[in-house]
Amino acid sequence: MRWVDFKESLSEFANEFKREKTGMLGLILLILLVVVAAAAPIITEPNFPDKWRDPQYWEAYPQTVPPTWYNMFTSKDLVPQQVYTVDSPNVHVDNQKRSMTIEVQYNLSDDYYYGPKGILIKGFNVTVPPGSPFQPKISVYLERPDGRTVPLVEKKPLSSGMSIAIGRDGNIKKATYIWLYKEVTGKTISPDDVPVEVVLIRDMVRPLFAVVDPSAYSSKNATGLVDEIISNPQTLHGTYTLKVTITKPFRTDVKVDNLHVTFLGRVYGSMGTDYQGRDLWAAIIWGSRVSLVIGITVSLLSTIIGIVYGVTSAYLGGNADEVLMRINELFSSIPSLPILILIGATMGHIPLSMIVLLLVVFGWMGIARISRSMALQIKEQTYVEAARALGAGTGRIIFKHMLPQLLPYAFAVIALNVPIAVISEASLSFLGLGDPTSVTWGQILHDAEVQSAATKGYWWWVLPPGLGIAVVGLTFVLIGTALDRILNPRLRRL
Amino acid sequence: MGYGKYLVFRILNALLVLVIATLIMSALFVKVAREDNKSKLFEELRSWDQTEGKKIKQSLGEEEYWRQRAIEEQNLRKKYNLDKSFWGQVIEKTKRSLMWDFGQSTVSIGGTNNVRDIVFMYLPRSIVLFTTATIITMILGIYLGVRAANMPGSVFDRSLSIFALLTYSLPTWWTGMMFILIFAYKLGWFPLQSNFLPTDTILDKIHKLALPVLTFVFVAFGGWAWTTRNIMIGTLQEDFIMAARAKGLPERKVIYGHALRAAAPPIVTMVIFSLLGSLGGAIISEQVFSYPGMGMLYWMALNQGETNIVIGLTYFSVVLYLSGVVLADMIYGFLDPRVKVGASAKM
Repeated sequence: MRWVDFKESLSEFANEFKREKTGMLGLILLILLVVVAAAAPIITEPNFPDKWRDPQYWEAYPQTVPPTWYNMFTSKDLVPQQVYTVDSPNVHVDNQKRSMTIEVQYNLSDDYYYGPKGILIKGFNVTVPPGSPFQPKISVYLERPDGRTVPLVEKKPLSSGMSIAIGRDGNIKKATYIWLYKEVTGKTISPDDVPVEVVLIRDMVRPLFAVVDPSAYSSKNATGLVDEIISNPQTLHGTYTLKVTITKPFRTDVKVDNLHVTFLGRVYGSMGTDYQGRDLWAAIIWGSRVSLVIGITVSLLSTIIGIVYGVTSAYLGGNADEVLMRINELFSSIPSLPILILIGATMGHIPLSMIVLLLVVFGWMGIARISRSMALQIKEQTYVEAARALGAGTGRIIFKHMLPQLLPYAFAVIALNVPIAVISEASLSFLGLGDPTSVTWGQILHDAEVQSAATKGYWWWVLPPGLGIAVVGLTFVLIGTALDRILNPRLRRL
Repeated sequence: MGYGKYLVFRILNALLVLVIATLIMSALFVKVAREDNKSKLFEELRSWDQTEGKKIKQSLGEEEYWRQRAIEEQNLRKKYNLDKSFWGQVIEKTKRSLMWDFGQSTVSIGGTNNVRDIVFMYLPRSIVLFTTATIITMILGIYLGVRAANMPGSVFDRSLSIFALLTYSLPTWWTGMMFILIFAYKLGWFPLQSNFLPTDTILDKIHKLALPVLTFVFVAFGGWAWTTRNIMIGTLQEDFIMAARAKGLPERKVIYGHALRAAAPPIVTMVIFSLLGSLGGAIISEQVFSYPGMGMLYWMALNQGETNIVIGLTYFSVVLYLSGVVLADMIYGFLDPRVKVGASAKM
């Protein structure tokens, strides 16, 4: 096949492809996907995979909350995330010589059904001279619209880098329970009397933002009322004030220039968060990279190997063909997933390049078998015979005369095999065997499965990664079937 | 070459592949198990050093200590099967596997330690779920595919094609997760988990199986329909179909009697491989549905280092695949006498 002929047939092919509507749709999707994958650091944030594995980074994010646009579909609107710094108009810092008071106003408007999921205060910079016995102490109170004040933290020693996490800290949960118990029953209990389940399971932020007036609830006795406020609180709307007081003993100093007060939302971002508070939107975008790279590489390599193997086998014929086909059968008969699991288990974690290699090793056999049967027909054609009569070697005939005939078929196979490779990689990641240094859709689904997200109804965690896989798959299937239709005119007449 | 001779040749070939595959599998799994056992032996020897060994060293002296240590090591080697050579062990394992003797598992499952019994205990569960689902998929897929091929370009054909392309790119296990979320969690029509309890009645079992079966059928039947459609469209353009129509045969007879029969070989191959493949279960999907089939057994055995179960299951699936190959060849040769394969054609 000469270069000019090749060029001509290629441009003819391109013209035909342009007429395939679904193929063009696939091509547009592919371009879109490549752009998204390439621009992931710009669209979301750079170095995301490093942040993904760092739980510290996700401290100020709410855990397992749906995306912001979820509010459009529910009558009970959920509060979004609010972050305040020293410069925010509703933050007042009153810095005295020996003490400091920070007041943060938070307006819980009537539009929202529940209060925030938690409050996180961080960014204290404490200087204590070496050897000093004194340490700054911090107290946190929440002043509610009904005039009551909840003491959350009292005189806790403060150090740099410390954060106050209302909603996660067990002691704060206890303090909330003690306050609630006192408001309702009038009795004061000690922290040891707080039920364990309150600390471990219950959401103690909701009672903070709840009506405690008995008339709002159905329970008549006091202890029943406490339980009801915890399990089914009526939200109290209005303006709350978070009051932080810090004492600064002799020669110590506290700076709050970097203060961040986060009222954790009950919805977050474009795609919600997972159980560590990680932003799923960014993860989905970054996951497309791995998916595309692995899908295309694996499919390309296994198609090349398969076609060369099949054509060689067909051309050689006789005993060589039998042996090559037995080797092919050997590879197909071995169940690939268990072997991959075994290798993954012995190696700990498989790097991406190794995943590609393994998927190629277990992915070329079908293509080899089909291209062999196609090559058997080509082999009988007179020009191959002519080439042999002219003294062309085996390699020359295979690579120069037979392989180019299979080239169009190869393109269709490459496209149609990408979804299979993408699903295989996702399956490995789903089993927890993927590359831990990268973010993949399979890994997101692995976490979702481990945390039984499907049986808890966290749709925003399960749906997007699978849709991502489906979109990548669909893109290549559309392209592949369009190519197939051009190459198999029988299917096209319609 | 006659059909019988051809068949014998194919079976012998398959057996050869089976032996080699079993040898490779055994080598791989035995290697992993030995590495595992070596570290266990090392661990145990070290703890012996710190307890018994220390006492002997103090009371009876250095020499006695080394003698005792060698004996202890010998015993441990025997305990962990490390006293035999690697290849000897591999060949032993291969021989036994070929005779369907997979030895004992370390933990007892369902009251037995015999790996063969364990495999045959899990097998019916996979059949109940996956073979049922495969049969439904095949019937639905072939029927719809033939219908679509009959009226190509129609709305039905187009929507079937689009559906097939969509489901082709969906991972089955993810679809399972979504179905659990929608039908089990949100709508509450099905239980969240599909593992059977001893108290379950037949109706309970059907109720638990419904969602997994639905998932597999949903994901797979589009692909079946689409493939059948493409094969049928090719066949329907053959001259003999035109001849049959010209003869005035009823359309039903043309399609099901002539066209489908001519298109049968590739479809039959698909049927054979799907049916045999369904016996092996599915590692990931069974986890999603918490269904205790062959896939779950495989996963558990891989995770807990139950080498004998892993070898047994792997051998089982290799046998399934190779018998599929032989069966397909047999039926191909039967349906289409033109088939000649490689060197065997020259015999």
